Amino acid sequence: MLGAAVLVSGGLFAHRVRALVSLLSDAQPVSRSGHVQRRVRNEATVVLGQSKLLSRLGPGLAHAFIFWGFLVLLPTIVIAMIGVVDRTATLPWLGHQGWYALLVDIFAVLVLAGILAALWIRKIQRPRRFEGSHLGEADLILALIATIATTLLLWHATRIALGLNEWPRAWSPVSYALSHLFGTDHVTRVLERVFVWAHVLTILAFLAYLPRSKHLHIFIAAVNVWFGRTGPGGRLEPLDFEADDADIRFGSGNAADLTFKEVLDTFSCTECGRCQDACPAFGTGKVLSPKLLIMGLRDQVLAQEESALVPDAVPDQSVWDCVTCGACVEVCPVSIEHVDQIVDLRRHLVMVESSFPAEAEPMLRDIERASNPWGRAQSERAEWAADLGVRLLEPGDPAPEYLYWVGCASSFDERARRTAQSTATLLKSAGIDFAILGPREACTGDPARRIGNEYLFQAFAEQNVAVMNEAEVTKIIASCPHCFNTLANEYPDFGGRYEVIHHSELLAQLVRDGRLAPTQGGHAITYHDSCYLARHNDVLEGPRELVAAVGRPVEMARARKNTFCCGAGGAHMWMEERGGSINLERVHEAADTGADTLAVACPFCTVMLDDGVQSAGEKMRVVDVATLLAERIDDDAVARPGERPT
Amino acid sequence: MPSADDEISRQALTLASRLDDTVSPILISGVYAPGAFARSLREVIDQRAPSAVLAPGTDRGNEVLAHLAAMLDTPMAANCVSITLGDPATVTRIRWGGSLLEDARLHGSPLLATVAPHAVTAEPAELELTQLAPSEDGAVTVAEHIPTSSSGVSLADADVVVSGGRGVGSAEGFAVIEELAALLGGAVGCSRAVTSAGWRPHTDQVGQTGTKISPEIYIACGISGATQHLAGCKGAKKLLAINPDAEASIYASADYAVIGDLHEVVPAISAEIRKARGA
Amino acid sequence: MNILVCCKRVPLTGGKIVLTEDARAISTRHLGFTVSPHEECGAEEAVRLVEQLGGSSTVLTLGPPEAEEQLRDMMAIGVDRAVHLVTGAEEWDPQATAAAIVDAIAAEPEPYDLLLFGNESADAGNYQVPLRVAYALGLPCVTGVKGLAVHDGHVRCEQEVQDGRDVYEVAMPAVVTVKEGLNLPRYPSVPGRLRAKRKPVDTSTPVRQESRLEMVRLHLPPGSGKQVEVLGRGPDAAPAVVGVLRELGLV
Repeated sequence: MLGAAVLVSGGLFAHRVRALVSLLSDAQPVSRSGHVQRRVRNEATVVLGQSKLLSRLGPGLAHAFIFWGFLVLLPTIVIAMIGVVDRTATLPWLGHQGWYALLVDIFAVLVLAGILAALWIRKIQRPRRFEGSHLGEADLILALIATIATTLLLWHATRIALGLNEWPRAWSPVSYALSHLFGTDHVTRVLERVFVWAHVLTILAFLAYLPRSKHLHIFIAAVNVWFGRTGPGGRLEPLDFEADDADIRFGSGNAADLTFKEVLDTFSCTECGRCQDACPAFGTGKVLSPKLLIMGLRDQVLAQEESALVPDAVPDQSVWDCVTCGACVEVCPVSIEHVDQIVDLRRHLVMVESSFPAEAEPMLRDIERASNPWGRAQSERAEWAADLGVRLLEPGDPAPEYLYWVGCASSFDERARRTAQSTATLLKSAGIDFAILGPREACTGDPARRIGNEYLFQAFAEQNVAVMNEAEVTKIIASCPHCFNTLANEYPDFGGRYEVIHHSELLAQLVRDGRLAPTQGGHAITYHDSCYLARHNDVLEGPRELVAAVGRPVEMARARKNTFCCGAGGAHMWMEERGGSINLERVHEAADTGADTLAVACPFCTVMLDDGVQSAGEKMRVVDVATLLAERIDDDAVARPGERPT
Repeated sequence: MPSADDEISRQALTLASRLDDTVSPILISGVYAPGAFARSLREVIDQRAPSAVLAPGTDRGNEVLAHLAAMLDTPMAANCVSITLGDPATVTRIRWGGSLLEDARLHGSPLLATVAPHAVTAEPAELELTQLAPSEDGAVTVAEHIPTSSSGVSLADADVVVSGGRGVGSAEGFAVIEELAALLGGAVGCSRAVTSAGWRPHTDQVGQTGTKISPEIYIACGISGATQHLAGCKGAKKLLAINPDAEASIYASADYAVIGDLHEVVPAISAEIRKARGA
Repeated sequence: MNILVCCKRVPLTGGKIVLTEDARAISTRHLGFTVSPHEECGAEEAVRLVEQLGGSSTVLTLGPPEAEEQLRDMMAIGVDRAVHLVTGAEEWDPQATAAAIVDAIAAEPEPYDLLLFGNESADAGNYQVPLRVAYALGLPCVTGVKGLAVHDGHVRCEQEVQDGRDVYEVAMPAVVTVKEGLNLPRYPSVPGRLRAKRKPVDTSTPVRQESRLEMVRLHLPPGSGKQVEVLGRGPDAAPAVVGVLRELGLV
């Protein structure tokens, strides 16, 4: 009878798993090999260590108890099955270990505690992150796990009562305590059978049900974490336009276009909603919920629908709401890569359907025709440096130590231009050998890439790489985090390998070395981490050192890798915001620190937060760390460029 | 001339009077038939052998003269700001909607040229008008006329135009522009970037390829001043530019400047106007 | 329907125009290129008409070898093929341009039903090439069209006039010059761009007639001489602005 039950359960399980595996093997290929050490480390921390989950201690511990319990109790499945067949037999060796009996007791209780906590969170606290999740399914699964743990304990208790226990009872305090509920009579003998059968049958039912539910993650999560990205978070996977026409993948139009990792992502989602909680678009009342997006894709994949992913699986608006800040990816406990999914959806809409928010079209046309997203004349690109004596790198000139990559915003936007001027002045006064490309510097292609026009991005990547390689550039200073990310993480895919440093880090180094000596101003300054610096590229300390050098740092609630977007990423600098204002939310958060200065290290953040401060009626000054530093450098030192302060 | 009753035609006539003592203004009327207009002009040329035939640099003037030039296989210079008769005749004409000038020689006779709008100031002239009323074209027939549905002030005729550029930021952002235009009894305009972004219809576009305007005052908000745009507002008597960028190229063509964010400045102006009127 | 659309490669000038040293052209060292906006609408209209009525569209340009970029751009939005009349860097005058286009059209295997031009080019703005082509081919011509429909061998053309739109009917074959606003040109898809790379471009090198509208030199217009008066910064400037409006009798 047990054999039949195992066969049914195993058959149902295998049938479903085979279907899922075939969906995965039919998916588009994606390169996620190598970096084995890193992948093992991810498994150890993210899976075994539950690091992402434990960043929220309460729910994290609840989950960790259940998960660790699952690992510890795995052998008891075999022990129970043996027990079904022969109540006097058990697993060789392990079935006789007292310490294991103790572990089983402890973890069975911890699992139950975890379940109670989970029920408390779901039924009493009811956090917003569960909006849209399958709550009934979760309840059923919690009930199943609770049944498994309870029947296990009760089975052990009856065994102790009947004196069948192989384990010394002292090692089983909980089961032993429970054993007092039972006598040594026939009833207990029947109950022992009932519990062990209930335990085993529940497990088998669970096994059959699992791959049909969101709890598929029990098996898939570890696999998804293994195949997770090992490189920088800000890099997008390039598409290959050199392939034969039929083989070119233009992002994701329907479920068959999704990559192996993207399909695996959808299977891994547990609908925990941490991504939704972290998402600035969702948080400001927009259509996008990263969780619902992944769930929509999953449903489409499982239904094997051939219709368009947008709008059939994912509402059109949600695709455009994303600022690519990566907060969702950062918090996801199972390494789902929402941003890559969204960019792939955009790629299809932009490149194949030519369907995207109309207001972004001038930006794309201007990048293509004028080499910058504002359509300004490239000949005016170096006008910000007119009186600063900055060296303009002409073809054939000897390479400087550093190329200063100014970026379009700092070249053309009146507020961002100040950053370039401050940076150049400081570099000169510290005696750094640098030059700019001026009109030969074109848009890196970042906004085109983030809105989904990979083709346009690659054209500019190739052009810029050719210019820099020809000029024998080796080291680059970038003041725009978006340029920084593209130059450092994405240009290597196009033959451009440079050592890229953000201006804040170089300036911090120069302060550390005493080549720049600012005076302390004492103002309360709160620093806003740019997503593309902090989250995508781990640049955290440089800007903070500068802030500390000139003022009194005060941190916002969401800081460092947990930062909250300014609202401009993912080409949103050129799109209309539909719903609430991300920049306003961030400005309120900054104002709550009581700081009178909001320091930034990104030209887009400068513009967005300055706009936010104005519309919020706040009095804070939004200013780049380079300008803050320049203002606190003795004028005499700045007046003698090239000379190092002693 | 296809039409003598508008300002640009009077300007053309003024420039013609400076070239020669003998100028005969010709008024051609009738339904649209530029080919027939040109044929009737050709008859006049055959009879009177003029040294030059000038027309106003309007769409219609350029069109009729181009018909004539094609018919005679003679060179033609469109939108001249100055003309010197001779063999060859020399002209200075506008390119890029007026952002650039070209000196050119015309090898052919008679000289065929149109006069760029606002190249000269019209002077009153007492000259005998020849009226031509050619028959219809034959090849192109006039089917119907669709009158403008909107009742507001037309962009081309408005005394005040308040325009928004990329700096407005969104379609909704135009509310403040509309409010100011309404207060001043003017029309709303926009730059090409705005039309491309879908915030306003192309009929609102001021520029080389949009509407060319000649208001008493043009208020350009959040417009950087690309040549394409400036070509459309050269006719404005006064230009007030509102832009946060003190280096914006629009300031090179402006009479007045307010350096600041239009979303703050424009409502403040509207409020000030209300205050002034209320008092 | 066999449609020809003619376009011209022009630089994107931005805010300031800088001339070459010999003052015979705009310095384009750091500039991007496009076709005149009117012509882009012409190409879009040609593609839409072919999508609607069947047939084939051809884009023609007379210009330097680099103008192939603009031909590919137009083919990327769906024009079927291109004819490139390759010239040197110097611009041709309207009569020479028209003559070369007429010769090229005569050499085409199939006659065109509809020949679309921009009303005027963005750079030279001569307003005459389409009419010269129409006369040479003996075709009727309607200019400045902002609405276009084809029915029963006729083209219905809407032209904007002061108080609305005049509608003209003309039998095909015909020459029509169009203006921006006729349609909103589509954003080219990437498959469209990739296809455009493989579409045929027939090149030929026409012989240049002597210029009869002979460009001598270019120069920038003198500054208006007016000095910009800064009325103030931010909302505080409002009273000064109202002062100006009052002077003009608007308040």
